[in-house]
Amino acid sequence: MRLLVVEDDRDINRQLVTALQDAGYVVDSARDGEEGHHLGDTESYDAVVLDLGLPVLDGVSVLEKWRRAGKKMPVLILTARDRWSDKVAGFDAGADDYVAKPFHMEEVLARIRALVRRAAGHATSEISCGPLTLDTKAARVTVNGTAVKLTSLEFRLLDYLMHHKGKVISRGELVEHLYDQDFDRDSNTIEVFVGRLRKKLGVDVLHTIRGMGYCVTEPGNAA
Amino acid sequence: MRPSSLSSRLIVSSAAVSIVLLAITGFVLASLFSAALERNFDHRLRAVADGLLANLDVSADGTPSLSTALADTRFNLPLSGWYWQVTPLKDADGAGDLASASLLEQRLVPSAAALSTRQPDGVAAFGLIDENGVNLRAIEQVFTLPGSERRFSVLVAGNFDELSAEVSAFNRALVLSLLLLGLGLVLAILVQVRFGLRPLRSLENNLLAIRQGKAEQLKGAYPAEIEPVAAELNLLIQSNTEIIERARTQVGNLAHALKTPLSVLTNEAAGQASPLAAKVREQAELMRGQVNLYLDRARRAARAQGIGAVTEVKPVLEALARTLERINRDKGVSVRVSCDEGLKFRGEKQDLEEMVGNLLDNACKWADRQVDVSASLAPELAAAGRQFLRIEVEDDGPGLPPEKRAEALKRGRRLDETKPGSGLGLSIVSETAAMYSGTLSFDDAKNGGLKVSLVVLSAV
Repeated sequence: MRLLVVEDDRDINRQLVTALQDAGYVVDSARDGEEGHHLGDTESYDAVVLDLGLPVLDGVSVLEKWRRAGKKMPVLILTARDRWSDKVAGFDAGADDYVAKPFHMEEVLARIRALVRRAAGHATSEISCGPLTLDTKAARVTVNGTAVKLTSLEFRLLDYLMHHKGKVISRGELVEHLYDQDFDRDSNTIEVFVGRLRKKLGVDVLHTIRGMGYCVTEPGNAA
Repeated sequence: MRPSSLSSRLIVSSAAVSIVLLAITGFVLASLFSAALERNFDHRLRAVADGLLANLDVSADGTPSLSTALADTRFNLPLSGWYWQVTPLKDADGAGDLASASLLEQRLVPSAAALSTRQPDGVAAFGLIDENGVNLRAIEQVFTLPGSERRFSVLVAGNFDELSAEVSAFNRALVLSLLLLGLGLVLAILVQVRFGLRPLRSLENNLLAIRQGKAEQLKGAYPAEIEPVAAELNLLIQSNTEIIERARTQVGNLAHALKTPLSVLTNEAAGQASPLAAKVREQAELMRGQVNLYLDRARRAARAQGIGAVTEVKPVLEALARTLERINRDKGVSVRVSCDEGLKFRGEKQDLEEMVGNLLDNACKWADRQVDVSASLAPELAAAGRQFLRIEVEDDGPGLPPEKRAEALKRGRRLDETKPGSGLGLSIVSETAAMYSGTLSFDDAKNGGLKVSLVVLSAV
């Protein structure tokens, strides 16, 4: 999952980026509205954490510009302005959630998880596919009730595919959402990780669609 | 009319001046008139005296006699009030005197004081009273008759009461016309004051409109004397608005400035297990509470001075309902708005948003699926020209037992620690409502949950 953090305060920005990275997300960050808007406009993100009081271009304007341009990624507004008029303005501009400063990092993490899940159309924190269940809250994967131990990158790969269950995800998209921008896109790592995941899960849910990418579906439903 | 009012001052002072002037005029006119009549009377008496002198002879023993009787018959009617007499002065020893038949056998005796009013031409004019109590006016002159060395006092008197009747008739007419004139003047003053002070009245009405929030500035042209006041008032209103706006911006900036470092502290400390980190966490939490408390107070204090704000209720309710449905999207709570068209809250939009927002937020936290918010005028509460409107928020949650309702309004009190919130919500609502002479009350909702009624000032 690739996230964007737009926050002008250096410390908060660093804390958010660190906490989100620790939670297994790939995180880009911007320190002003213009840079943030540009990143959100050109890159593909699974969720955005957006401050409202930003230099150069304020958060509400950034959000409005994204929505006008048809960008649909979930946006969490994180701001010190906690009046109802600010909330109304934020939601009317197209925000999906709102957290007021001073905030607890756990709350932001929980809200981001919920936003990503909701954007993918899942109502609960658990996503299942046949015998395979992924708990986004606890970052746990079970097959027929038995926990499977995955590395961070393996989990992130499965997490992304499970969130987009039934859809074919290209290798390029996976790279973009799992790695930092400077990752070598021609490398074969994804192939290797998919192979390892298949072995660890032991159930036939992770399919390779030749020439197109990968897809998670119920066993036996290979496209 | 209040004693200190401008119009009563104008009316009372003008009326006083008019009355004094009218009284003086009346007095002067009456005096002039009676003086003229007296002069005229004196002239007639003098003519009689001249006639007497022309026909007066003196016998050898010094007794005067009249060669021709006077034409005026009033001098022959007994005690008619018209008399003449020719009397020798003291040194005319033994000599007889002469008088009109009307005097019968009496003689008029002028007092020494009356005689001392003698003018340079030798004539003294004065008042007398005869036997019948009739007021007389007399002239007296002393002269020496031809053919005698004796000096005689010639006195002619006329009935002055006849004249007095004329004077009082004149005075009555004078007083009556002056009274009418005075009445007319007072009416004219009333009209004048009313007309003259009309711009002040319109200024007052315009200010009232601003206070009721129907206008933002004093409009219309004012007379040169009031124009500067109106202009200054407009500037004052404008600067008031600007001050509030500035205060609000600064409070917002302060919020931002304080909350961001607090977030940094909290989050930095959250990642560590040292006693210092625990202390920082604890203190940061305290600071967060204090910052919220005082920012909230400062915000409301900045707003309390605002004048003339009017907020359309319906758009606010709809925007909040929309926002809260999105916030509680996962829970699937629907917020239904029913609000009369054109309903207006007399106060700042932000205050209405804070109050209703917190009530709705609370209702959504407790609701099962449905929250209803309705707003309408409360005509039964109208008093002293002030209208109120009632906003009711109902949920279909578990409700709140009556004994716990008073508790819910206390600052920092959270009835259920498992629900998120700072515990400031309802106390903020009730404190803000109090600023608008409003109240907050609880009741059972028809679908089982809690009904919160907020009553605030309405702009008519």
